[in-house]
Amino acid sequence: MREDNAMEQSDTLKFAGREFRSRLIIGTGKYPDYRLMKRAHEASGAEIVTVALRRVNLDRTQESLLDYIDTKKYTLLPNTAGCYTAEEAIKTACLGREVGLSDMVKLEVIGDQRTLFPDNEELLKATKALVKEGFIVLPYTNDDPIMARKLEDAGAAAVMPLGAPIGSGLGIRNPYNIKIILEAARVPVIVDAGVGTASDAAIAMELGCDGVLMNTAIACAKDPVAMAEAMRHAVRAGRLAHLAGRIPKKLYASASSPLEGMIEL
Amino acid sequence: MELTVNGKKLEVADGVTITALLEELKINALRVAVQLNQEIVKRERYEETSLKAGDRLEIITFMAGGSA
Repeated sequence: MREDNAMEQSDTLKFAGREFRSRLIIGTGKYPDYRLMKRAHEASGAEIVTVALRRVNLDRTQESLLDYIDTKKYTLLPNTAGCYTAEEAIKTACLGREVGLSDMVKLEVIGDQRTLFPDNEELLKATKALVKEGFIVLPYTNDDPIMARKLEDAGAAAVMPLGAPIGSGLGIRNPYNIKIILEAARVPVIVDAGVGTASDAAIAMELGCDGVLMNTAIACAKDPVAMAEAMRHAVRAGRLAHLAGRIPKKLYASASSPLEGMIEL
Repeated sequence: MELTVNGKKLEVADGVTITALLEELKINALRVAVQLNQEIVKRERYEETSLKAGDRLEIITFMAGGSA
């Protein structure tokens, strides 16, 4: 237990000069209500939460999300969700910086409404522009190693390949691509989107990913608070398994008990 | 005079500043970003920025969201 804690202290997620003890990043969307969201956030152990940028509701009948997020405890990560061009995403990121006084942005430039897959060309353009503006850019990308390299070369602080389409819960559809991305990356690799349940998060971490970002899997679970706790353990378990180093896979059995000193029966 | 705020027409006193407009709308200035006719106005300039008839404002804040 004490060793585990010691490891937890030193094994941190680092990017752009910042350090986080939790490797789980979670969203604020789709929860039945803010109270439940707050409890799920606490159960997840996450230190970074994503938020969207939208018009203030002028009739003031809606509660404010920010009343349910302790910004001393959580780092807000504004996203550019809903943007379909580099220009829209850049403008949204700049507005996010104004609201939150944070230079971090989860950059999304969506290419198509049905799949919500990223538009690579626009994503790269927006990454270059925002890096030039001094942003810490965390781009949501597809699981393409070449694109990951281009984003890194453009100055992205991390790359965030999808495991599967946003909100699909299909898990890590192409672990081999994620492995190739990991082999070449010099910045953290955070799986963003696709996680459906705890084992998906564990697989991402076992592959060697630096973190996992999720929203729907927790917010839309029957019990979001319990799922948040499950995800906390899954990310931790997967990370420990990665660090511990798994055994190689073999086709045939290899006995765990000694073959010497067998009893004559 | 009339302004367009977040897509809605709004009748306000002539020459109102951004600070006064936010107060009237009961909006906490520390939790929003303001775009005036497509240009972001820095928070420290809300006090000195007087609005003109026909100005278009977007008042933006953080909302619940994960991806897309």
